Amino acid sequence: MATDRSRRRTWTLSLAALATIFILYLTTGIASGLRSGANIVVTPFSWAVNVIAHPIGHLLAGTVNYSDVVAQNEKLRYQLARAQEKANQSWAYSRQLQQLTTDLNVPFVGSLPTVAAQVTTISPTNFASTVSISKGRNSGILVGMPVVANGGLVGRVTATTPNGATVRLITDTHSLVGVTFKSGVTTLIVSGHGVNNGLAATSVPLGTSIVPGTKLLTDGLNGGLYPAGLPVATVKTVTLTPGAATYNLTLQPAANLSQLSYLDVVIWEPAA
Amino acid sequence: MRRVLVPVTVVTLFIVAIQLSIFSSLRFAGVVVMIVWLWPMAMGLAGLTALSLWCALVAGIFFDTHSTTPFGLTALVALVLAYGASRLGREGVGDLDSAAWWVTPLLGAAAGFVAPLFFVGASFLTLNFSLWRNSLFAAMVVNAIAFFLLARPMARLARWVGGVGGTRR
Repeated sequence: MATDRSRRRTWTLSLAALATIFILYLTTGIASGLRSGANIVVTPFSWAVNVIAHPIGHLLAGTVNYSDVVAQNEKLRYQLARAQEKANQSWAYSRQLQQLTTDLNVPFVGSLPTVAAQVTTISPTNFASTVSISKGRNSGILVGMPVVANGGLVGRVTATTPNGATVRLITDTHSLVGVTFKSGVTTLIVSGHGVNNGLAATSVPLGTSIVPGTKLLTDGLNGGLYPAGLPVATVKTVTLTPGAATYNLTLQPAANLSQLSYLDVVIWEPAA
Repeated sequence: MRRVLVPVTVVTLFIVAIQLSIFSSLRFAGVVVMIVWLWPMAMGLAGLTALSLWCALVAGIFFDTHSTTPFGLTALVALVLAYGASRLGREGVGDLDSAAWWVTPLLGAAAGFVAPLFFVGASFLTLNFSLWRNSLFAAMVVNAIAFFLLARPMARLARWVGGVGGTRR
């Protein structure tokens, strides 16, 4: 049976812990300082675990998937050759486009510089869709910059350190992206629905001529969070609930978010 | 308690590292198994109340530094699990030596099932109303199964690190 003293000590410890957490909530500055401090403490332990776990993991994966890896390698070589051929052809077009956009003074992602970065970690929790990347403020990456990869918009930088950054993916439940399609007259808001649930758009006016397969691009409205023309998603299904005055859309992200190894941070900041 | 505080802290940091390096990338049905919640709970089931709360705080805070969810929320859930488990542990419920073999896994499964729910519920306190849209039910089920399987080995490790003898009542 617990003594009064030990019970008091337990309560004091619990209250102290809760008070600490509450204070950290109220003082974001301390919390962010603590984050980087704690990162430094955990890093050696993570390194030790990785030293042991990675070779074992690689050995197992190599043993089981060797034939797949060889086949994949051949396919990638072929695709690389095709891509190089296309890149050579499109060089002339891109120069022409660059010239035109400069002449017309139209901001478009094709003319914006990017910084390539490697994905270092994928969100460690069930409740946030984020990735950490290998470049940060020292490479010119700032909070708010859009991130693209695998043929479309991936997300937005939400935090930076000198040599790293956190990117909130468009599937995160806090993510909202203004998009448009075809003529660019109608704008919609695409929201993230969690790690495994993809994207959706609700309250789409009934008069909108949208069908499955329609490609959605960032609208680039003045004061928006993204430049115009970034591919965001393709419409998967269009649903009309009986009695409702609007459509609901389920969307397939344009970028393959489950295969993120390298990505490009677009050096573009939202207008103040 | 002071004698084992350092080893317990070191093991807790290793648990955080294992969580971040292995379990967070090894997703089952898209769900991360949260051993940073299971560890303090196992420590609590060993009857080590103060140590389990310490583990919960350290594991939770250090995990939260790597996550973009509200800071301290993982720690809060870990603290609640640790406290609840330590109440049971003090009564001998879930004791590896005296209780039936299935009691510890079952308690683990229950904890794994409710922990994500509590996490989302607690997020409302931080005015964060969108976390429930993630695959909450899948997270509950997968964590329940994983905790069921891992509860006994984790409890065994907790008793060893915490210096709890086989005959403690």
